[in-house]
Amino acid sequence: MIVRIKYSKTAAGRFLSHLDLLRTFERIFRRAGLPLAFSEGFNPHPKISYGSALAVGVTSDGEYLDVEFTEELPLTDMMKRLKEVSPPGLEVLELRSLDTRGKSLTAVINMARYCVRVPLRQALSQSRLDEVISRVISEPELIIDRERKTGKTEIDIKKGIYALEGCIQEGMLVLEMDVQTGSEGNVRPEEILELIRKFGNIDMEESLRIHRQGLYIRDNPLVRSPW
Amino acid sequence: MVDVCQIIENEILPKVTKPLRYVGNEYNVIKKDWTSVKLRSLFAFPDIYEVGMSHLGLRILYHLVNEQPEYLMERVFAPWPDMEEALRKRNIPLFGLESYHPMCEYDCIGFTLQYEMSYTNILNMLDIGQIPLKSADRGDDFPLVIAGGPCASNPEPLADYIDLFVLGEGEEVILEIFRSMAAHRGKRGGRQDKPALIQELASIEGIYVPAFYEPVYDERNRLKKIVPKEKAVTPRVSKRVLRDFDKAYFPTEPIVPYMEVIHDRIMLEVQRGCSRGCRFCQAGMIYRPVRERSPEVLLEQADRLAFETGYNEISLTSLSTSDYSCVEPLIKELLERYSKQKIGISLPSLRVDSFSVNLAAEIQRVRKTGLTFAPEAGTQRLRDVINKGVTEENLIEVASVAFEAGWNQIKLYFMMGLPTETMEDLDGIADLAYKVLRKGSEIQKRQGRSKQLKITVSVASFVPKAHTPFQWEAQDTRELLRTKQQYLKDKIRDRRIVYNYHESEVSFLEAVFAKGGRELGQVLHAAWQRGCKFDGWSEHFLYTAWIQAFADVGIDPAAIANQAGSFEDVLPWEHIDFGISKEYLWQERQRAYEAAKTGDCRFGACSACGVCQGLDVETVLILEGEKLNDC
Repeated sequence: MIVRIKYSKTAAGRFLSHLDLLRTFERIFRRAGLPLAFSEGFNPHPKISYGSALAVGVTSDGEYLDVEFTEELPLTDMMKRLKEVSPPGLEVLELRSLDTRGKSLTAVINMARYCVRVPLRQALSQSRLDEVISRVISEPELIIDRERKTGKTEIDIKKGIYALEGCIQEGMLVLEMDVQTGSEGNVRPEEILELIRKFGNIDMEESLRIHRQGLYIRDNPLVRSPW
Repeated sequence: MVDVCQIIENEILPKVTKPLRYVGNEYNVIKKDWTSVKLRSLFAFPDIYEVGMSHLGLRILYHLVNEQPEYLMERVFAPWPDMEEALRKRNIPLFGLESYHPMCEYDCIGFTLQYEMSYTNILNMLDIGQIPLKSADRGDDFPLVIAGGPCASNPEPLADYIDLFVLGEGEEVILEIFRSMAAHRGKRGGRQDKPALIQELASIEGIYVPAFYEPVYDERNRLKKIVPKEKAVTPRVSKRVLRDFDKAYFPTEPIVPYMEVIHDRIMLEVQRGCSRGCRFCQAGMIYRPVRERSPEVLLEQADRLAFETGYNEISLTSLSTSDYSCVEPLIKELLERYSKQKIGISLPSLRVDSFSVNLAAEIQRVRKTGLTFAPEAGTQRLRDVINKGVTEENLIEVASVAFEAGWNQIKLYFMMGLPTETMEDLDGIADLAYKVLRKGSEIQKRQGRSKQLKITVSVASFVPKAHTPFQWEAQDTRELLRTKQQYLKDKIRDRRIVYNYHESEVSFLEAVFAKGGRELGQVLHAAWQRGCKFDGWSEHFLYTAWIQAFADVGIDPAAIANQAGSFEDVLPWEHIDFGISKEYLWQERQRAYEAAKTGDCRFGACSACGVCQGLDVETVLILEGEKLNDC
């Protein structure tokens, strides 16, 4: 039986790396006493596949994984067990049984929705912010530097920005954005924040909170959830 | 409090390396209400989280204490320098992971002493925790600072900083200490009168209060005697020992870290102690006698642990697991129970014999990691000197079995600078490595395999340790160690043999702190002031600063590390009793010089080390006499 799980990574778990997450979920399933299916070979691995990896420090309300079990089990019992044995940082939200093993989550998920919050060091009006955002969006290309193991590379993230809105709440700049994620390309929310800061010459604090609201399958102009 | 938590979580943690080291909300973590307990304690590990969370003693004591409703125990580890800087910059004291309380607000802090080179971290942690370093400077408002662990067998270098040491097995005595502390506070409305408290605790067996003993030096500045002061309860303090290992507390719901730690698996402790009697080995002396745990208890613990942790590996831990009398039936049963769930079984240390390598072959279906053996010395003569009952035939035989079974990598551990060592013994190390390599090529050729062979030869420098037959030995000078290291390097010229050795500077300081006395307290302070910390980490080790620190206080480290002693000498740990008699140790030293072997009392006659009689304990074997073994 293949089960798709929607889970959240809360503030308590935000410093988990993707590798920490893989280790932790295997242990959750083992503690729940669920019959994991394993790959063949000398070094068997549980058959768990994940959606897009979440960066260290980022929280999320909409992460997905697919896991295979060797037996059919009622989802309500499974949900109860998983909740009992999850650590503080991870919360299983929903379960759904998949009829067949379709395309992998990483193959279909290609869009992420983020909310970024950062305290401002200066006053900023909504109209000024809107103006900065529209200037950013209307640029023909948006070149940013990315650190790679091989050194710095320049890439254009313009095509990977699908939506961008902002507002000011209690001295905080709040940006909501839909951006590309997955094997075709990836836009990081910090990169967009940096563009806003640079274009508008806006003075802001270094501490920021990034929250992923969800992962989606975007087939322009349609956007649907992998659920 | 809330403010500090916010600053730590929002400003500091996002910017330090591996923030999970400081988060403390792992699965099975225990967070108790600070105000409703009688005693708040902090387990302090003077190295990073990944090292500390791999330590079985922490797991045992943390859960033992927290299972008592009236006490709480939290954890603190040495912060990595980036974290230290962030805390100091904001004047935030180092805190316990569970509640983020500053170190100075706990009633009692217990450091574990696993390694001499972690001592500067103890000073540094106290300082970041905003606690005066010296015991004498900590008034009633500061926590009681205690310490235990293997290095407490020579506690003197830390005597200025630690209020009291716990000798021997902590789980046997910790609740006695806490009961006494809680009663003391109960009578005084939650406050402590430190001198009175320490005096009360000193009457507990196994508790050593360094301030109650005074080292006296002669005119040449050599230790003449250690005088118990008026307050001292006993002239010598004996270690505490668990008698019934089956009944001893063992946690079955340990904390499961999010981040990868060094020993990231279930640790099933099959026995305590080892009586092989290797003459350099401190663990083999101070944890005597051998006490085995019965397979029934172990299997029950394994079941609970697998269910409660979700780990996919069970390691059978002890000083020499293939000596456990029921190791074969135990492994067989574990494999039967857990292979379906893909829970692997591992053995951390392998004795050099075919029995052990066959066990390894049975449980380790993936041959990736390689096997490790420790012949310790290169010639039969020197192996007899150190009482390491391993022959060349043993080694070639285990290598053959390993290569036949499909392994391509073998690691060999040796020591350099052992007493009586000559260049011939070093030649012996190279010879053994080449013989193992040749055996491997031969077997590979016959089997038609072509995978690259790799023989790793790791050579540590011998460090004389307290309570061992070699406690009187001189360590080779650093110059000689370096010459020997280079000599061996020139002898090993095959790229399939990888030769590793330790920096002689670190081994030198290890020897100084392993052998030295109370006078080292001021050196430690000077070194810490000069920025020494994480001395066991090569990227942080500042040898020049250490040498300057010795000069600052006018102590010659070479006089401690590189000079041999005699039976009449007063040793700095003369008043610390781990049950092994000084006469036995001296006799073993004499036998070493005659290259005479001494048998293991599990399989033959009692060697009269003094532990069983002196501490009124006995060796506990589950299958007595059924698995005789003469090596």
